[in-house]
Amino acid sequence: MATEAAMPESVLLRWVRTEGMAEIEQYRRAGGYDAARRVATELTPDQVIEMVAASGLRGKGGAGFPTAQKWKFIPKAAPVKYVVVNGDEGEPGTFKDRTLIEGCPHLLVEGILIAAVTIGARKVYIYLRREFYRGRLLLDAAIAQARAAGFVGERIFGSDHAVEIVVHPGAGAYIAGEETALLESLEGRRAMPRQRPPFPAVAGLYQQPTLVQNVETLCHLPVIIGLGPERYKELGPPVLFSVSGAVVRPGVYEAPLGVTLRSLIFDHAGGMRPGRRFKAAFPGGVSSVFLTEADLDVKMDPDSLRQAGTMLGSAAVIVVDDSADMVEVMARAVEFYRDESCGKCTPCREGTAWIAQVFERILHGRGRSEDLALLEGIAGGMTGTCFCPLGESVPPGLVASLRLFRDEYERRIAAGATDGR
Amino acid sequence: MAAEAPRTAVTLMIDGRGITVPKGTTVYQAARSAGVDIPIFCYHDRMPPLGACRMCLVEVQKMSKLQTACTLEASEGMVVSTTSPAVRAAQESMLELLLINHPLDCPICDKGGECPLQDQAFRYGPGRSRFIEAKRDHAKPLSLGPVLALDRERCILCWRCVRFGEIIAGDDALKGFERGFASEVGTPRALPVESKFIGNTIAICPVGALTSRTYRFRARPWDIDPVASTCTYCGVGCSVWLDVRGGEILRTRAREEPEVNDAWLCDLGFFGHGYVAAGDRLTTPLVRREGRLQEASWDEALDLVAERLRASAERGPGRVAFLGGRRLSNEDASAAAGFFRDVVGTPHLDHRVDAPPDGASLGVSWGLRSSLEDLGRGDVFVLVGCDITEEYPVLWLRIKAAIDRGASLVIVHAKRLEIRRHARRELLDRHDRLAPLVAALAADETVASGERVHVLLGRLAMDGPDGPNLLRSADSLVRRVNGTLHIARGRGNDFGAQRFGLLPGEGGMAAPGILQGAAAGAFDLLYVAGSDPATAVTDGAAWESARSGVGFLVVHEAFLSETAQAADVVLPALVLPEKDGTVTNLEGRTLALRAAVKGPGQARADREIFDLLAARMGVVRGHDTATRIEPVARIEPAAAGAGASPSLIVVVADRLFTQGSMAGRCRGLIELAGTAHCLIHPADAARAGVTDLGLVEMVTEHASVVVQARVSDVTLPGQVLVHRGYDGVPVHALARWSPAPAGVEVRPVAPPGGETP
Amino acid sequence: MTEAAREEIRRLAGLYEHRQSALIPALFVAQQEAGYLSPAVLESVAEVLELPVTEVTSVASFYGLFYLEPVGRHMVHVCTNLSCMLNGCQRLLSRMQEVMGIQPGETTPDGRFSLRAAECLGACEEAPAVLVDEDRWAAVSPEGVEPMLERYR
Ligand SMILES: Cc1cc2nc3c(=O)[nH]c(=O)nc-3n(C[C@H](O)[C@H](O)[C@H](O)COP(=O)(O)O)c2cc1C
Ligand code: SF4
Ligand code: FES
Repeated sequence: MATEAAMPESVLLRWVRTEGMAEIEQYRRAGGYDAARRVATELTPDQVIEMVAASGLRGKGGAGFPTAQKWKFIPKAAPVKYVVVNGDEGEPGTFKDRTLIEGCPHLLVEGILIAAVTIGARKVYIYLRREFYRGRLLLDAAIAQARAAGFVGERIFGSDHAVEIVVHPGAGAYIAGEETALLESLEGRRAMPRQRPPFPAVAGLYQQPTLVQNVETLCHLPVIIGLGPERYKELGPPVLFSVSGAVVRPGVYEAPLGVTLRSLIFDHAGGMRPGRRFKAAFPGGVSSVFLTEADLDVKMDPDSLRQAGTMLGSAAVIVVDDSADMVEVMARAVEFYRDESCGKCTPCREGTAWIAQVFERILHGRGRSEDLALLEGIAGGMTGTCFCPLGESVPPGLVASLRLFRDEYERRIAAGATDGR
Repeated sequence: MAAEAPRTAVTLMIDGRGITVPKGTTVYQAARSAGVDIPIFCYHDRMPPLGACRMCLVEVQKMSKLQTACTLEASEGMVVSTTSPAVRAAQESMLELLLINHPLDCPICDKGGECPLQDQAFRYGPGRSRFIEAKRDHAKPLSLGPVLALDRERCILCWRCVRFGEIIAGDDALKGFERGFASEVGTPRALPVESKFIGNTIAICPVGALTSRTYRFRARPWDIDPVASTCTYCGVGCSVWLDVRGGEILRTRAREEPEVNDAWLCDLGFFGHGYVAAGDRLTTPLVRREGRLQEASWDEALDLVAERLRASAERGPGRVAFLGGRRLSNEDASAAAGFFRDVVGTPHLDHRVDAPPDGASLGVSWGLRSSLEDLGRGDVFVLVGCDITEEYPVLWLRIKAAIDRGASLVIVHAKRLEIRRHARRELLDRHDRLAPLVAALAADETVASGERVHVLLGRLAMDGPDGPNLLRSADSLVRRVNGTLHIARGRGNDFGAQRFGLLPGEGGMAAPGILQGAAAGAFDLLYVAGSDPATAVTDGAAWESARSGVGFLVVHEAFLSETAQAADVVLPALVLPEKDGTVTNLEGRTLALRAAVKGPGQARADREIFDLLAARMGVVRGHDTATRIEPVARIEPAAAGAGASPSLIVVVADRLFTQGSMAGRCRGLIELAGTAHCLIHPADAARAGVTDLGLVEMVTEHASVVVQARVSDVTLPGQVLVHRGYDGVPVHALARWSPAPAGVEVRPVAPPGGETP
Repeated sequence: MTEAAREEIRRLAGLYEHRQSALIPALFVAQQEAGYLSPAVLESVAEVLELPVTEVTSVASFYGLFYLEPVGRHMVHVCTNLSCMLNGCQRLLSRMQEVMGIQPGETTPDGRFSLRAAECLGACEEAPAVLVDEDRWAAVSPEGVEPMLERYR
């Protein structure tokens, strides 16, 4: 459905969109596993880290942390280290990781090998959300093929390195995507975030140094090693944007970092549907604060978005058009947080439930004029008090909606019982 | 010293005051050490911080967000405010959120008056609620077994109780279920909670969500008079508060004593005070007349006993024997020992009533060979025939903490212990075949490389047919690895009885010898105090024949026990919570007892009874003159006799919750004990046609008892475990001292009326 | 639980440094076989992995994809998160309810389907997204509900 015709040159999606990339022969014919082979047999860990640092690669899971810097935090001398791949992809509006895995699972396997060899981890767990059944089959097959080729297991690429890869299922919990909750889940417990510090890089899985990295982040590694960091940087650097919602062509698009929101929506995703107007867009998943028409020309990069009061997050653009009611949109977002809160800390557990109850009243025609101040008040109590970013992502969007779409709330409340759903 | 301060200490400012604390201290602890109060709910100082309730938020200069004081490590130069407007606002918000679903039924809540939530709502709360929605509604309260009740709507999800089970007790008794706003603590499907430590969760719950079913609504904290004393059940000697109102002990709480029980109790101690006020306490002396025990005055009874003692003395020395001590205080034991040695003039005294003649128990002194604290610093623990959670529960907490710090646990036993999950190695075999397992441990890498190896030899091992071999193997093991051997044998104040002289004197007989001697007519009078040999002696016939072979039996008792029923004179005794004095715990530490309540009727302290008797016999004694007897030297035990071993053997094991004379009179504990039962392996059960929970008859050469069968692989094939301590179920009669092990046959008992009841 | 399932769980346990890590995959093995995680099934998983059954139940109850109550032969997840909401998932869900005669969270009386409103399925380009058992269905229209369900007997 999506077209890449508009893309000048795609270095990531090229692998995904080419037929047959789930097969190792095809992947290798196109140059696949060359980068991993170089890392395992030619380059030193420091050289690889330098290349990644030079590329400017930042985590694609949401927090946007510089990848090379995270690798440097891993104690070199530790005898046991792990790589844990974050394939939980739960941020609403995000589907790039699934697209990568289903399109070219070998790209992920190769990225994993590069990371594991560089930091010196012999064991890798891919935490893959359970709903990606097809992705799981393809990934299992790709790992088996790579193992048969001598790329996974003992003495990979004939080197002294050994890398084992185990795919581990998630079980339906958004919070399990948060890296410390993910580690808890991987240890067989309830996915509740851990106190940081210590950070996973120092004490992660089984309290050993652990590199937790998003699927897409790892998929960038073969490209960076393959093209060289300079060329990679010249390309933008490239980012995968998941664009969905009220657009003509929802899909994953590769665009340079800093592409405008307008270009993503109107050039890449085909613009708004006939007769519909742009109303708002979440630039980085539901967890980011939405942007409005005035922000359409904002650049989609971490700094510009921070200035605009929001964030790049997982680069998942959810587009809302004028047919949608912002109160309903926010109510749905809040319900999501309420249902996905792990329940560990007071403000997130109680605050999301309370806000959801207030929304429910408003939507059912039982809103009161003081409810808007109440929502602001609860949001205020949650701000800066939650244990992890899940709870913290509720107040900014809610407060922004109360400011920018106050009329929609007021209309709902004024209509009261007569308009109740 | 001062020059070194920067390396080990940090100085920070809290609310404008400079505070210097050791590096590694949290801001919360630093504040507390300086008397600055930061409100908390989830934090508990015996567990690592969790940072969940968000009540302890403070403002720290140069940090963009508020920080949880409980998780934040104090660092040099840190500037903290616990009262800034942002902090106050956050505290108000947290309390408002916590109170959303809290019922505010404080006037009828057990926690009222001692509730952190109530206090903090008062001090830090917003004083109003903007919450107009319906509160969470739970049918209340949820009963989680005989002793625990949970009011879910009062729960503020601080996770303390859950983490107690995970971190401190290691039993995972209470857990969280569901998630987010639907989160609840409890047990799966509200099944009875399985724990030996659940009382502690009641104590640490910061609201009235977890309450004691035996205490609910019985009193308010302000009408209670707490008495500092010591628990006297298992021998660990936990420090307790006995909360008294109107002459009755209403509840027991842990009293902090870092060197013994830290802040904890087991449920036997927590719920085990009810027997004191039981309605069937003996209140007057009883004297046998015309074959029946009849009420008598103290003078009558004491005159009779004194006369019998004198008459015996006239016939010659050493014709009186004394058994007991476990339920006596140190002072009682000392008085008894002095009385029998010096006044009566007999060397035949012993507190080790339940020890068989040929095991290993009589050859060694009982107790730990190091302090509890030292033991807790061990890096390898080997439990041999020691079912630690059933026998010394709070000692397990120390071992569990050591395991969490990296120590290893090795279990050698005839049963799968409930703590096996925490063991690095488990060596199982039938009760009569444990010695080779211990011998083999010298080759175990962890044990061999341990720096502080502690081997605990338990009753089951010592009293078993293999006891002497086990003792020898364990002894040579600790010599090889430079470890310490502990004799985890004895309960109550057995350790005080041992220390204060309730052991055979020169030429005196040990307990089995006394029983055999009595049977053979060697004694005119047998005297029992602080013990119930009729149920404790592990050879059913030994007591019977001793009783019939002795002319006169005198018993001190609080209840009409089986031994008392057979007595000629029964003297009503106070129980330990009614006495001032001391006891000795299993590490040899002296611990204070304080009389919490008065005894019933004319009951008297054992010591007083001995004094009165001594006076009647022409001697008035002071209490401090008791000769302190050193524990007997270690005797090399004899090799066990070889013999064919039967295919199915019976092993009498100990259980924490029983229906004995004390626990069996405590509400809650009776239900926890359940009915008398045996554990039979599925393979043996199938062969014998025994079904789980069905009644079975256990038949040995000597006796038969009917108990419930529990089919379980907790026991091993070829071995039926049966628990003692159920009054009216004489499992001790099943066996004789020799030959051991005793063969047993297990038969299903057809339900009355045929197959389908 | 069959011996094959126990064997599989033991194999899974071998993939990790600590056996509790195998708990989530093990629960899926058990659920696949038994249909849902009954108390007896949870007990068996606890036994094979040597974990307290309280812990196993607690963990199972946290995650949305473990069923602690009986469910239908086919599980229908309809995504109702934002991208799908903006693409008419509400109408789709209503149609499903109508066709099946049940509300989200319920199971048809014949035990054929269970219906659930789901959070984002990571398939927003195919909104409204539907997952039936392990099959993902793209851009399902209300009209497409019946033919789709027909495929599941
Ligand atoms: C509530 C929450 C959910 C998250 N979900 C995901 C997710 O589904 N996938 C992911 O890769 N990162 C997720 N993250 C981010 C991770 O915590 C972490 O930053 C990331 O896995 C690091 O990898 P990266 O540096 O490659 O991005 C989430 C974070 C939060 C707070
Ligand atoms: S029951 Fe009490 S201790 Fe347990 S989580 Fe609730 S409030 Fe905390
Ligand atoms: S006491 Fe610090 S977060 Fe609960």
